[in-house]
Amino acid sequence: MSLAFLHAHDCSEAHADAVWGVSWTKNDTVVSISADGSIRQSSSSSGEPHSPPNSPTDYRVPSPHTLGLVSLSVSPDGRHALYNSLEGLTSLWNLETGVSEGAFESFLREEGMGNAEPSWSVSLSPSGSTYASAGGHGNLTIRSAEPKNFGQKISTVFSGRNKFGMCCSYSPDGKRVALSSEIGHVFIFDVESNTFVNTYTSHAMSVRSVAWSPDGNLLLSASEDKRLILYDVRVSSGSSGGAVATFSGHSSWVLCADISPDGRFGLSGSADKSIKVWDIASRAAVSTVQDAGEVWSVSWRPRAPAVGSVGAFVSGGEDGVVKWWRGAGAGV
Amino acid sequence: MHEAVIENVPVTKRDIYYRDVPLFKDQRVVDTIVDDVAASLKLERSDLNVRATSKGIFCGSTFSIYLSSGNVIHGNDSEASLIPAGEDVETFNVDEDLAWVLIVEKDAVFQTLCHLNASNHPLLPGKGLLITGKGYPDMATRHLVKTLSDSLPQTIPIMALVDGDPYGLDILSVYKHGSSRLRHENGKLAAERVEWMGLLSSELTGLGIDKESLIPISQHDEKKALSMLGRSQDIMPAKWRKELIHMLHNRRKAEIEILSSPVDSSAVSHQGRSPFPSAENDIQRAPLLKYLHIKLSQFVTSAQSQYGST
Repeated sequence: MSLAFLHAHDCSEAHADAVWGVSWTKNDTVVSISADGSIRQSSSSSGEPHSPPNSPTDYRVPSPHTLGLVSLSVSPDGRHALYNSLEGLTSLWNLETGVSEGAFESFLREEGMGNAEPSWSVSLSPSGSTYASAGGHGNLTIRSAEPKNFGQKISTVFSGRNKFGMCCSYSPDGKRVALSSEIGHVFIFDVESNTFVNTYTSHAMSVRSVAWSPDGNLLLSASEDKRLILYDVRVSSGSSGGAVATFSGHSSWVLCADISPDGRFGLSGSADKSIKVWDIASRAAVSTVQDAGEVWSVSWRPRAPAVGSVGAFVSGGEDGVVKWWRGAGAGV
Repeated sequence: MHEAVIENVPVTKRDIYYRDVPLFKDQRVVDTIVDDVAASLKLERSDLNVRATSKGIFCGSTFSIYLSSGNVIHGNDSEASLIPAGEDVETFNVDEDLAWVLIVEKDAVFQTLCHLNASNHPLLPGKGLLITGKGYPDMATRHLVKTLSDSLPQTIPIMALVDGDPYGLDILSVYKHGSSRLRHENGKLAAERVEWMGLLSSELTGLGIDKESLIPISQHDEKKALSMLGRSQDIMPAKWRKELIHMLHNRRKAEIEILSSPVDSSAVSHQGRSPFPSAENDIQRAPLLKYLHIKLSQFVTSAQSQYGST
C-alpha cells in the first residue's frame, strides 16, 4: 500500500531557529517550541498566530527564554502546554487565558537532597494534576502540575541505570509513564505502585522519543540506530522481550514518533530529513515525505480522520518552519 | 621574584615552582601568586622579570621573528618553530605575499597541516601562517596573535579553527576577548580581529560527514557549555551561543579530527582519474585540506573585497 501526503501550508512566520517540538491540539491549533527559546500557538487552517476566541485582551504568549526549549507536552483538552528549557526551567502556559501558571527551576538543588538533576523531558498527565520529568541521571520524577504548588516533588524513582533520560511520556490512561534513555533502554513505570515494571533493551543507541497508541497497549520508540520499534507493553519484558515489530527505512537517526488517533499509522521524523508514515498492521512504510532539514518533531491531528481519508499531521524541523501535511484527496 | 628583579636574572614560573615544590605543591599556586603580585603592583609579569616558558609554535616561510638578542627565527613551511616570549622579541617581519593567518586549537591538527605544507600549498589561496597554542594559549602566543591583529592589513584574515565544543570556543574566546584571570593585561592581549572559522556541527553534512562521526558530549561539556551560555553578549556572540545550544540538544560535538581521518573509499572511487594526481590525492586523503580550501577561500575573498583597494 502506498499513500500520498501533500504539503498543505506552513506557519506564517518561521521561528528564528530550529523547531524542536510540535503538538497538534484538540482545538485544531498547533503549539510549537524552538531552539530560539520561544513557544507559539498557530491556527491549523491558516498557519497564523492564534489567540483563542473570547480570550482576554491581555492574552499573552510567553516571552522567549534565553536558551532553547527542548520538551513540550500539551493536555488532551488543548488547554495547557507544559514545556521545558535546555537548562531545566519547566513552565506551564494556559493556552486559553494566556497566563503563565507555573515555573519550576529544576536545576536548583532541593532541600535535603543531593545534587539537582535538571529535567530534560517533561510530560503532562492526562488529568493535568501532575507531570513526569526525566533528567540526566536515570530518575523518573513525578511533580505537581497544579499552579498552587507547581513543580513540587511527589516521587522520584531510579530506573536502575544512571543514564541520560531522553524522553518520558504518560500513557493515555495516565496509569503508566514510558521512559527512554540515551543508551536505548525503554522503561515502563507504573504510577500506582510507583515502580518500574518493564525494561525493553531492543535498542542499543539513544531513543529520543516514544509514543503511545491511543489504547495504551503499544509503544513506538524512535532511535539513533535508524529504526523504530513497536512494543506490546502488556507483554512482560522477561518472556519474548516485548518488541513486536521493527520499522526500518530511515538512513539516519530517527528523532521523533507519533501514533495516529485511530491507532493505524505510525509517524516518524528523522535526521535523514524525511518523514515516514508506517502502517502498523502490515509493519511497512506507506509514505515518505522529503523535508529540508532534520525533522525534530511530528504530531498527528488528534481528530480521527473521516472514513476513507488518512488524516493529517504537522512537523517541525531544523529550518524553523512549522509545516502542515494532509493525505492526498482529503480536506482538513 | 625579588631576586629576579634585583639580580636582573629572569626566571620562569616553572623555575619558581621547582625552588620549593613541597611548599607550593602545585604549579597553579605559583601561577596565581605571580599574577596576583603583578596585579597588586599594577605591573606586568615581565616587569617582575618572570618570563613565561613558551609552548606555542608557528609554521610559515613568510614570517620571521627578530629577537632582541640579535638572533632571527625564520619561519619554515614544513617544520614548526617555537614562539618566543614577548619580551624577547625585537620585531616581526612579514612577507607581502602572506594571505591568511590560521590559529588551530590542537597540536595534532597543526602537525597534520605542517606535514601537508599547508602554509604554502597549491590548493590553498596563497601563503599562510599557521599558529597553535596547543590548547589554551600562553602569553607568548597570545602576544603574537595580538601583534598580528594590530599590525597586519585588514585584507589578511586571521581565523581560528577549534573543536565544535565548549572548550574550543573558550580557547577562541581567550584569543579574541582575553582571559578572565588576567583582566588587567587585557588591553595588551585581546585580539578582536580573530574570526571563528569552524568547526561547526552544522557544516558537517555539507562536507559529506556522517552524524555517526560526531562524538557524544560528556558531563564536563554539558557543565562548561551551560556556564558559558551564562556569559554576557560581548564575550559570547549569538553565533557561538547557537552552536553550544545545538550541541547540547544533539548531545554530540564535532572535533576537528573528524576531518583528519581518511575519506571513505567509496567516495574516492567516484572521482575517477584525475589529471593532477598528487594534489588531488592530498584532497582525497585529507578532508581537512578540502575544508580549508573552501573556508580559507571564503575568508580571503571576503577580506579582500571588503578592505582591498580598488
